[in-house]
Amino acid sequence: MTHTTLSGPAASNAQRLLSVVGVLAVVASGAVGGNLLGSRERLWGSESPVARPAAGSRDASTDVASPTPTVPPSQAQTVLRSQPWWRGVTKLEGNGSTSAAPFTVADDSLQWRARWTCETGRLLVRVPNQTRPVVDAACPGASTGYSVRKGAVGVAITADGPWSMVIDQQVDVPLREPPLPVMTEPGTRTILTGSLYRIDQVGTGTINVYRLADGRTALRLDEFFVTANIDLELRFSPLEAPRSTQEYMNSPSVWAAPLDVTTGSLNFIIPPEVDPSRYRSVVVWCPIIDSAYAAATLKQP
Amino acid sequence: MTAPTSTTAPAPPRPHHITVRGQEFPVVLPNKRDPRLKLSAIVISIHVLGQTLLDFKVSIAQILITMAVCGLIEGVITFRNTRVLAWPASGVLTGSSIALILRASGTVHGDYWSLNGIQFFVLAGVVSLLSKHLIRPTGRHLFNPSNIGIVWCLLVVGPNHVFAQYLWWGPSILGQVLAYAVIVFGAFWVLRAVKMIPMALSFMITFAVLIGLFAIGGREFIAIWHEGGPIRGIEYWVNVALSAEVLVFVFFMISDPQTAAKAPKARVVYGAAVAAVAAALVYFQQTEFGIKVSILSSLTVVTAAVPLLESAVRRWVQRGEVADIPESPRSPRRRDSVVAALRRPAVAAALIIAVAAPIDTVLLHDNKQVILIERGQVGKANAQ
Repeated sequence: MTHTTLSGPAASNAQRLLSVVGVLAVVASGAVGGNLLGSRERLWGSESPVARPAAGSRDASTDVASPTPTVPPSQAQTVLRSQPWWRGVTKLEGNGSTSAAPFTVADDSLQWRARWTCETGRLLVRVPNQTRPVVDAACPGASTGYSVRKGAVGVAITADGPWSMVIDQQVDVPLREPPLPVMTEPGTRTILTGSLYRIDQVGTGTINVYRLADGRTALRLDEFFVTANIDLELRFSPLEAPRSTQEYMNSPSVWAAPLDVTTGSLNFIIPPEVDPSRYRSVVVWCPIIDSAYAAATLKQP
Repeated sequence: MTAPTSTTAPAPPRPHHITVRGQEFPVVLPNKRDPRLKLSAIVISIHVLGQTLLDFKVSIAQILITMAVCGLIEGVITFRNTRVLAWPASGVLTGSSIALILRASGTVHGDYWSLNGIQFFVLAGVVSLLSKHLIRPTGRHLFNPSNIGIVWCLLVVGPNHVFAQYLWWGPSILGQVLAYAVIVFGAFWVLRAVKMIPMALSFMITFAVLIGLFAIGGREFIAIWHEGGPIRGIEYWVNVALSAEVLVFVFFMISDPQTAAKAPKARVVYGAAVAAVAAALVYFQQTEFGIKVSILSSLTVVTAAVPLLESAVRRWVQRGEVADIPESPRSPRRRDSVVAALRRPAVAAALIIAVAAPIDTVLLHDNKQVILIERGQVGKANAQ
């Protein structure tokens, strides 16, 4: 009766070779199992992306303009990611052909877009080393062109009349907005507060609803995270604590704000026709798949 | 899992034979008196509850393929070694046990024929059976096959792709009651036959006390299924010490007579040792993934030390019984034999595994990937 094992000194050459391979496999397993030099994540991939700074505002141009960043850079590093969202870069305007001053598209952005309008003739927008123009359209008109070029981007514009372009870059880092100035003005008070809990997806963070000094209402999410998807929205519900999509759908709710960013700290002005004090919860709603992602019961502070 | 007999020393051939090209091969069919059938019945009962009431994120296809792969490997190796076509009861049980605990990220409960992550189940099965048949420093396998396969998969493949069944088996109350009933009934049914009840109690008491101390001391962990922040206090103790997952581990995995200590007193020490190592590794963890790997890899560590543990307990008992037996000196000859043993690849492999498993487990404590997954913040709808 024979039995193959990791054998001792009396083994044949084949068994010795098998033994060496076996022991090496065990050593390699030990190294990968400990993620030595990131070997496990190199081998199998990683769910945690590289830490990057969060965005401090919806407009990238304010990063440079702000002398005192709201969040120190060391704290702003995060491995969390948001649903990709559009962050403002610059606005270009002109009349006729020109070469615009270069604007900067972040290296970690996914793409950028030019939302353009023109009035007469034709509008042609090109970036260097890109065969296809960003915009090539008859005027008058208005639409959007896209590019993936990063860094300092100079655009060559050929136009027959007045034109304008709003440049945005698409990023997936969290947005950590400071509270709106009106949220800290005298006369502003917090009227409702709550913490998010999950329903169909993960949702964490806190919600504060403010009655502003000028009579409007505003909503702020802090340390917010919800499973990413496009076209999510915040809705007020009369239910105290909806626990399922079906339960939420059985009661009428009202739209409060779009949720283009799914991670960070965010501010929203609530539409004037909506009175938050009439509702008892906020729900993160996905209208595309009719799913209540998360909710927060609202209580007076 | 508990496998009271070994396929490497099969029962005497029965009068069944098949003839291939004029050569007769004995055939050993399943025997209803085989104690492994008891354990298989319990494991399959839990699988049925998992598929019907407990929302286990494992498909029937994953379970069957893992059992088939392990059975096939076991059958082929047994045939190669003994020229007997034996029903691979141990291999099938190993596969079934792997599928009871291992999960592939992204598998949805109710997708009964999903092959998602099937390669990881197969890998775990291959590692289990290879360890059983290759790492035999004392002539019999050292590690519990399904345990080492699962631990290997959890540590080497990692939390990005695999995880162990949740500690909490809810939300169905009926499902949990039935599961606990099956586990406790099964424990008495199986453990009494193999005289492992004192060992199981030794583990449970030691583990419950140590985890209770951690809970009092403020330890906590995060879990993807748990809302509202970390689990702490009494909830920590209940979810770790009394988890159905832990009961399955203690009643049906560490009680394997092939890999556990043999002598009654050594078994009690063995149970307490597994509990102590498990608790020591759990102490570092702040995620459910880390806690589950800690509990599982404690068995990997202690089974590697079972020959030493048995020897130590034997000496201790002998000294207690005959007080004047002198302590044996550490002679140069004994040192030489230790060095010679370490030069044997099976011993070296066992030693590396016994050292690497706990180190790799401890390194999970601040793994950003695990933390992100347990918080549900990786962006995947079904990360675990």
